[in-house]
Amino acid sequence: MAVTAVKETQREPGFPFYIAIWAGLMLIAGVEVLLTYHRGFSTGMLLGALLILAFTEAAIAVVYFMHLRYEKSTLFWSLIPVTIFVLLSMNQIWADALRMIKVRPIPF
Amino acid sequence: MSDSVIALSETSDGAIMEEPVYAVSPKKLTVWLFIISDAVTFGAMLFVYGYLRVGSTDWGASFNFPSILNGLIMTFILLTSSLTMLASVQAAKEARTASSVKWMGVTAMLGFIFAVLHLREWAHMRTEGWGISQNPTGHSVQFSAAYFSITGLHLLHVTCGIIAILVVAAKFRRGHLTAEHVVTTGLYWHFVDLVWMFVFPLIYLLNAVR
Repeated sequence: MAVTAVKETQREPGFPFYIAIWAGLMLIAGVEVLLTYHRGFSTGMLLGALLILAFTEAAIAVVYFMHLRYEKSTLFWSLIPVTIFVLLSMNQIWADALRMIKVRPIPF
Repeated sequence: MSDSVIALSETSDGAIMEEPVYAVSPKKLTVWLFIISDAVTFGAMLFVYGYLRVGSTDWGASFNFPSILNGLIMTFILLTSSLTMLASVQAAKEARTASSVKWMGVTAMLGFIFAVLHLREWAHMRTEGWGISQNPTGHSVQFSAAYFSITGLHLLHVTCGIIAILVVAAKFRRGHLTAEHVVTTGLYWHFVDLVWMFVFPLIYLLNAVR
């Protein structure tokens, strides 16, 4: 049985790094508003673009603001994949939502 | 003899212990588990909103530019409050108690401004005839139900966060709580910010009058 020294915890960056992250998140929020008023975007395209930007923002917040980047990787692998799986599992509702559009109202 | 590897760590009193699986305190792990369950709650609500929207033939656009601008300002305020919370956490870790408490005060103040802007938006909508089952535009009332439910739940989280930050700041200043409590409170506050990153584009921007 081999014994190893514990891996040194990754050093957290200084505060200027977090200011840069904050500025990046502000920029993404601004881009979201600009895309909303971009004439060439249909609602579907806008939804796709906004989701990509929102997930990017969320990932940056989890990794840097919530410090998941500096925790042991076991924490990440225990929490994040199962959360994504549960959220993706909710996608099964869409088929019924699309069916709803074709349901005719019952005449009185 | 097995070839397995055991990682060891040294405690503050010099004892050699097997490294814990997650290497985080029980407090922090508990807050992470709470955040995950809360993320699923918000996820479910946003999926319900999506379901209602996709299934509706009469959704309509509800927000004019002033409302979107107000939402963008709220986003900037909440993002800035996350930065000030980070400053508080860093100060707490470096045993700069006064600085940590000061930054927690700034964070709570920004959270309060966010809540006031949100309530002002709601009050303005009420004067226009909006309600949880009322839509003055004549389109689906399901939008107003989804809007007030999701933003209401988020506002409840913001309010709880402000109270938690103020309580932790007061107790941390008196030495009754440790830097670990500031870290876990910060985690919760960042999560509140994270939820808004989805609420703003999906609820506000996708319902903007373009």
